[in-house]
Amino acid sequence: MLTAFAIWLRATPLSIAIASHDWVIPAVQSLHIIMIAALIGSILVINLRLLGLMERSQAVSALMGHYLPVVAVSILVLALTGAVLIIGEPTRALFRITFWIKMALVLAAVILTWGLGRFSRTGLALSGDAGAALTLKGGAVLALLLWTAIIFAGRWIGYTEGWPGAPQ
Amino acid sequence: MDLNDLAERLKATPLSLAISGSDTLFPLLECVHVLAVVTVVGAIAIVDLRLLGLRARGRHVQELLHQFVPVTLGAFAVGFVAGALMFIAKPDTYLANAFFLVKMLLLALAGANAIAFHLLFGRALAGVGPGVAAPLPARLSGLFSLSVWIAIIACGRWIGFTT
Repeated sequence: MLTAFAIWLRATPLSIAIASHDWVIPAVQSLHIIMIAALIGSILVINLRLLGLMERSQAVSALMGHYLPVVAVSILVLALTGAVLIIGEPTRALFRITFWIKMALVLAAVILTWGLGRFSRTGLALSGDAGAALTLKGGAVLALLLWTAIIFAGRWIGYTEGWPGAPQ
Repeated sequence: MDLNDLAERLKATPLSLAISGSDTLFPLLECVHVLAVVTVVGAIAIVDLRLLGLRARGRHVQELLHQFVPVTLGAFAVGFVAGALMFIAKPDTYLANAFFLVKMLLLALAGANAIAFHLLFGRALAGVGPGVAAPLPARLSGLFSLSVWIAIIACGRWIGFTT
């Protein structure tokens, strides 16, 4: 079914238009990386603050309020630029295991980041409870590891072969 | 000794042969390089957008610099080492690549701009507290920095499409 979808996608006017201009894929990949920079800058501040490693003069809630919207917008633009890359080369990423690992990691990282934002605003976290602080620190370490793994998986898509039976 | 001789000599070193002879070392270096680059640019963008008055206007500029310059320098060091190892693996390919040469030029410009910024505005920024707009030259320096770093990312990505 995925193969049929990719072959259908490759015949769409948009896919043909993207594929017929050599500059579109590198340009959209560049935009994709620029948005990852915006995302990672925000992710770094949020999680290093939770770990007490930077911005200690700022309230966690203030930083979350400032940077979580940047995370949300970045994820949205990343999904759009990623979709353009798939439309331009439908038989590439969709048939490589690293792409699906990356998507699973993104889902986990987004849920975790959203959860950390919610939990940091609860009465328990705001009261300075030791267990809650430890939970937030553990979550921050996990989030940093997840986003790092996502970047590695993203780069590795280009080095992975399509699985058996993938369309050429 | 010109650059091409240097490239040939580098290519014959055990380090170069070890990286280019491995299926996984070069992609791993790329992963570390990308992680470092997005960290550098993400941290720089936070400061530049404050200078431009577009984000974090309520923050003291010097306080933001104090928080983000160490992150930027640390990530830059990691990215530089990973990039240098990538260069050592295939120096002739990089030297023949126009996007690589432009990227190096842009890096020099970004570095010169950062040094000039700290030398020229370091003290003046003490007065740029919460809600205060940065002086025009500092704002222009921030705009230049952000533009050059975006161009550096684009050049870096384009290197891979031209070799």
